Amino acid sequence: MAKKEMKGFEDSYIVEGKMALPYTYFAGRVGSKFITTLRDQKKIMGVKCPTCNKVYLPPRQVCEKDFTDIRDNWVEVKNSGVVTNFTVVRYDDKHLPRKAPFTLALIKLDGADTPFMHILEGIKPEEVKIGMKVEAEFAAQTTNTILDIDHFKPAAAEKNVFERPGTGRKPWKPEDEHETQEKRRGGKPDMSTPVIITAALSGAATMKNQIPSVPYTPAEFAEEAYKCWKAGAAMVHVHARGEDGMATHEHDRIRATHDAIKERCPDLIVNLSSAVGMGKTAEQRISQIVAIKPEMASLNTNTMNFSIIDRKTGKIFIDYVFENTFTMVQDFGKAMEKNGVKPEIECYDIGGLDNTLLVAKQGFFTDPMNFNFVWGVAGGQAFRSEAFIAMMNAIPPKANFTTCGVGTDEFPCIMQSCMLGGHMRVGLEDNIRMPNGELAKGNYELVEVAVRIAECLGRPVATADEARLIMGIKKR
Amino acid sequence: MAHKKKNRNVGIIGVGQTKHSSHREDVNQPEMIHEAISLALKDAKLTMKDIDCVIHGNMELFEMVHQPDLWHTLGTGAFGKDSIRITTGGTVGATLACAADNLVSSGMYDIVLAIGFEKLQEGNTTGGITNMADPLWFRKIQAGALTGSSAYDVEREFGLERANRASMIYRIIMDKHAGLNPNAHRAFGLDFNQIDDLIKISPKLVGELKLIEMCSQSDGACCVIFACEKRAKDISKNPVWIRDHITAHKEETFNIFGYNREFPVVKTHKFAAEHLFKRNEIKDPLGYFDVFEMYDPASWWAIDWLRDFFGLKGDEHLKLVENKEIMIGGKMPINPSGGVIGSNPIGATALVRVAEAALQIRGNAGPHQIPTPVKHALASGFGGTMWTVLMMLEKELNW
Repeated sequence: MAKKEMKGFEDSYIVEGKMALPYTYFAGRVGSKFITTLRDQKKIMGVKCPTCNKVYLPPRQVCEKDFTDIRDNWVEVKNSGVVTNFTVVRYDDKHLPRKAPFTLALIKLDGADTPFMHILEGIKPEEVKIGMKVEAEFAAQTTNTILDIDHFKPAAAEKNVFERPGTGRKPWKPEDEHETQEKRRGGKPDMSTPVIITAALSGAATMKNQIPSVPYTPAEFAEEAYKCWKAGAAMVHVHARGEDGMATHEHDRIRATHDAIKERCPDLIVNLSSAVGMGKTAEQRISQIVAIKPEMASLNTNTMNFSIIDRKTGKIFIDYVFENTFTMVQDFGKAMEKNGVKPEIECYDIGGLDNTLLVAKQGFFTDPMNFNFVWGVAGGQAFRSEAFIAMMNAIPPKANFTTCGVGTDEFPCIMQSCMLGGHMRVGLEDNIRMPNGELAKGNYELVEVAVRIAECLGRPVATADEARLIMGIKKR
Repeated sequence: MAHKKKNRNVGIIGVGQTKHSSHREDVNQPEMIHEAISLALKDAKLTMKDIDCVIHGNMELFEMVHQPDLWHTLGTGAFGKDSIRITTGGTVGATLACAADNLVSSGMYDIVLAIGFEKLQEGNTTGGITNMADPLWFRKIQAGALTGSSAYDVEREFGLERANRASMIYRIIMDKHAGLNPNAHRAFGLDFNQIDDLIKISPKLVGELKLIEMCSQSDGACCVIFACEKRAKDISKNPVWIRDHITAHKEETFNIFGYNREFPVVKTHKFAAEHLFKRNEIKDPLGYFDVFEMYDPASWWAIDWLRDFFGLKGDEHLKLVENKEIMIGGKMPINPSGGVIGSNPIGATALVRVAEAALQIRGNAGPHQIPTPVKHALASGFGGTMWTVLMMLEKELNW
């Protein structure tokens, strides 16, 4: 017993106690496999619940959410991830793994759904931010514990972006074309022609509450565009958004968005929408194109229903008529051609294509004309293979075609287009889900699917310059 | 006391136990718990969605995990559900059953899942239990939970030879019972012709208390599912009804760890049994009950406690043992499961008593099922600073 020396307590003793007890915790078979793969293969393994798709890291034997036995469903996760939360330890104590001050972070590894705790080094505590990318640094010496990862450190920014395909290939030239125009119209594709992949980054109606990666600000557009370019896109199609996420016709905002993308990816073709969004006047729709003069812009070809309908029940949520009179098609087309903006002619059905061919007789469209066959708009045609072939056969001989489809139409229509020598458009404007139904991580993941389709069919993926050559676009 | 104030009847509709063992390196704590939970859900033909509340119990500090119920959600299925942790020492398993009964009978929940577990191989039992002692005057000195006082008492009253033989007969009966129970931790295959050898050979721990007579340290978990009368009848063909339960506490300045004739210990068993039987109008408990799953930490305590529980006189309790009336097939079978001497995952142990008693009433306990019909069963829990929990189970709702 120690005597308390404080004045007034001279007659009071304090009993000092200390308990140090040995314990041995069993990792179990699941935890043991995690440790051994970490130690022997430098791999971080989680387990995925087949019922709810949640990936647990550290691995668990049972999904806590739905109680499914998940012990054998191992998946490898990346060595990098994001900080979801952190704290700074500011005092030294024997049981702590580092000298104070140091940062303890909750880190959600890429491919995992649960964060786990580790030490974060290589950054001052005051500079740590939630959301920052970090990567694992493995320990030189194994301890058969979670400390076989020695610590995490800030990761290089571009680390996880899919590398642009087809680099090192000889650039394509028009004289490389194999098949004649006649054969192509009959459905004999030229697989040696590079396929142009466009990413429609935002549209006017896809919102962050559906998918957080849809861009609103110029900086977000630039980042999404850059990732798409890295993944293989030659062009991005843009509906600029205001701070609140609503589609905007304001020139300054559209210009800022356009310029931010061009600054981040000078190579990329930016294609602006001349539809902009619901309820915009003809003047609002075309004046911004004339003012900003993008390399390409959309040209819509018929007045049509453009609505939001429940696909399962047929219930009408928003009913809207999208006005594109013959006069507008003519005036918009002329304005674009006059300002060196290549029109992308949007055909929501074969009637729209015929409308275009009618006014085209005036002769203001320059060759080659570039058509986009759009599928699945509520008010337009749904995707059908034979309708696709009918449209392909109806376009003028020198014209190009690309295609896009809303929702589940996206992947079948681009695959058919790629197979028939046409081009492909994907993106969060049209569809937010991967083929397996999971939400896409961003536009770039959808571009990656298009790249895989091209690879499967043996078609090279077009660079932006090749795309300009094919579509007759003047570089700005 | 809440007796006869029950809002509604409560039935046991599912039971699940792990194999109790000293070697469970293959699983961590929640993984082991999940085994018992899965078996109980399967037994009741329910899923976790049907469970309204999970109550979790184990010994405090034995595994040195603070708030283990949080981590164990991974195995208990308590994610997003009402969940309560209970820790009352050795009685905790029985307290879980009492709490589940109270929670369901009150109308708070229709279906409650109780999970008791212990992973003694991982923990530091002595360290944990030492923390129970008065930190000023006892902690630096005492450690552990052994006492030779029961042996001393029985020996003084009935003579060394008879006492030693009775204790060893009890021990061998428990071993024979454990040999029939596939979940039991220890079954050595002992036989009655080994009594003299075992008395001579087995190392003495305290006084006449010998190593072979002491309970094991086990890893294991037990899960029992409780439902209100209506749901129990809907879900189960043979629910086992909880008639009544009683808990008696007392603090005895830790003479449990020493011996002082001025402070005779463990009278809570007698107190609890007398009150429980009186208020249920059971005049002859030995005749009334068909089986007793008793919390028997050592054979000496067991033979001594039989007298307290059943209100026996003179050497009636020893005769029950000597005449092997406590064996399966006898007049009052004690612990057909092999008891605590057979398996002791402490936080689960007292719940195992309730679970095994319920299985005996259901008639599908397994190889250790009593051959004659079991209508009335008694289960006890023991622990803490001399706590007793007693629970009565019934086959029919006719009392």
